[in-house]
Amino acid sequence: MTQQLERTALPHQRGDRTGRRAVPRRHRPGHVPGWLAAPSLLGLALLLVYPTVFVVLLAFTESSLARPLQRFTGTDNLVEAWESVAFAGSLVRSVLFAVLAALLTTALGVVLALLLHARGTRFGVVGTVLLLPLVTPPVMVGVAWKLMLAPVGGAFGGLFSALGLPGANPLGDGVGAFGALVVVHVWQWTPLVTLLVFAALLGVPEELREAAALDGAGALRAFTSVTWPVIAPNVLSVLLLELVVGLKVFDLVAVVTQGGPGLSTIVSSFEIFRTGMRGSYEIGTAAAETLVFGLVVGVLTTAVTLLRARAVRAES
Amino acid sequence: MTAGALRRGGLRVVLALVAFVALVPLLFLVSLSLRSVDDVANGGWLPTRLVWSNFSEAFATVPLSTMLTNSWVVALGATLLTSVVAVPAAYVTARAGARGERLQTLLLASYCAPPIVAVLPLYYLLKQAGLTNSAVGLVLVNGLANVPVAVWLLDGFVRRIPLEVEEAGWVDGLSTSQGLLRIVLPLLAPGLVAALLICLFLSYNEFLFAVSFSQSTSSQTLPVGLSLFQGDRTVQFGQQAAASLVGIVPMYVLAVVAQKWLVGGLSAGAVK
Repeated sequence: MTQQLERTALPHQRGDRTGRRAVPRRHRPGHVPGWLAAPSLLGLALLLVYPTVFVVLLAFTESSLARPLQRFTGTDNLVEAWESVAFAGSLVRSVLFAVLAALLTTALGVVLALLLHARGTRFGVVGTVLLLPLVTPPVMVGVAWKLMLAPVGGAFGGLFSALGLPGANPLGDGVGAFGALVVVHVWQWTPLVTLLVFAALLGVPEELREAAALDGAGALRAFTSVTWPVIAPNVLSVLLLELVVGLKVFDLVAVVTQGGPGLSTIVSSFEIFRTGMRGSYEIGTAAAETLVFGLVVGVLTTAVTLLRARAVRAES
Repeated sequence: MTAGALRRGGLRVVLALVAFVALVPLLFLVSLSLRSVDDVANGGWLPTRLVWSNFSEAFATVPLSTMLTNSWVVALGATLLTSVVAVPAAYVTARAGARGERLQTLLLASYCAPPIVAVLPLYYLLKQAGLTNSAVGLVLVNGLANVPVAVWLLDGFVRRIPLEVEEAGWVDGLSTSQGLLRIVLPLLAPGLVAALLICLFLSYNEFLFAVSFSQSTSSQTLPVGLSLFQGDRTVQFGQQAAASLVGIVPMYVLAVVAQKWLVGGLSAGAVK
């Protein structure tokens, strides 16, 4: 876009006989000055570059909360992290949680968007109500669901009795607690998918759909051959977004289960926090765990990004 | 009844059900907040008798008003910081060609990193700067952490502003940055409102940084305070529900009032 502009001579650029720019570089219209990016680059330095470098340093040294980087300890911290049963399991749980959450939110969200779209092109009252879970602070979401799931005074006591399971407590066993966290997370994050896919659906040309109907295509056929190709790139972006969001989960675990019962709901963010910022403040181990977790997240998101790019190319 | 009417009716029922599921936790909180301790223990969905004291008691049990103030100060401050950083950045990503693409990629990559990665290093940095247990520290961290989201949303809005409008300004002698301030910024208003609202929600809801850097009673934000309330031995369901509602309701009002901008902003940001 800038190149294009440079070719269009603006009035005050005319009469440039020397072949050099008549207007100084910083005043050349259409040239985007680099300093506009400076604040955001400073932010990246502070929130991305510095933490990365510092975590690496912390991972290979001994630190206390009061004094970081006291002495070089080689791979001691990494060994410590490697031998932590809680942390190894947390990696599996984090990935499992994020993958389950991404698939469920995306599938449910797409279905909801299609239903909303079948009713009309306005997001409407149902849309507004759907936004509410999205803007509820996750801590409060956790409090609300924890109260609802409580065996005494909770919301589902009657339901569990009706199902022949009086006094059932989903948070009481490992699988139930993990499942409950997934359900709560899906409750909170499905609306984002619905909203974004609904917006994408508005971009599907109506004529194409009508043409498909005229050609005798059923609802399913019209979806697979007309609607899906248009919304697929967006759906895949949303899937990636939900994966990233799922890998960040911390608040829900901290509020609803505190990692329990046993180790069954400890995800990596929670375990790293527990190791470094609570209890015996094992900063070095926590930093080593951070490195490993960061690597896992990086590999997973890169893989999904590449898969998405390939799928989008295949569609077009 | 025709098949079409039946289908529309069915659709309406399904959507009403979905809306109900989206509202259930909130409705349950409202119900709990209006019940006495005994009434809560009885179970069930509705209060047998309305009790209003949970709200005043929640304010007495925990420093709720301090937490609310802290939350709002952090959220508003962080949103202001985000906007100052994100508007010029979004202009670069939308208008600076390959350089812009690179900045966008960097910002998105930083968004993909889980925030826990930055917690330990930022703790030492903030402590060194004397910004732990302080709203300023949280404003700084949250404000910068939300920049990628704001840029991602604003980028689409900048691209939609026709270049000709800016060119007219340049002909009149404005530099690019003056044009950004006087021409692009006013046209960006709807997108900016949406992006800032979303960043306000994100900062207001943020928990990990808040619980790591600001634990003192005087500097706690609402999510931190409520997560600790949760840990109390005498579990007061009614008070917990009341305290949660006090934090949630303003956000719901904002979301409903600004629904048009929110939906527009999120859609425009995502579907390019």
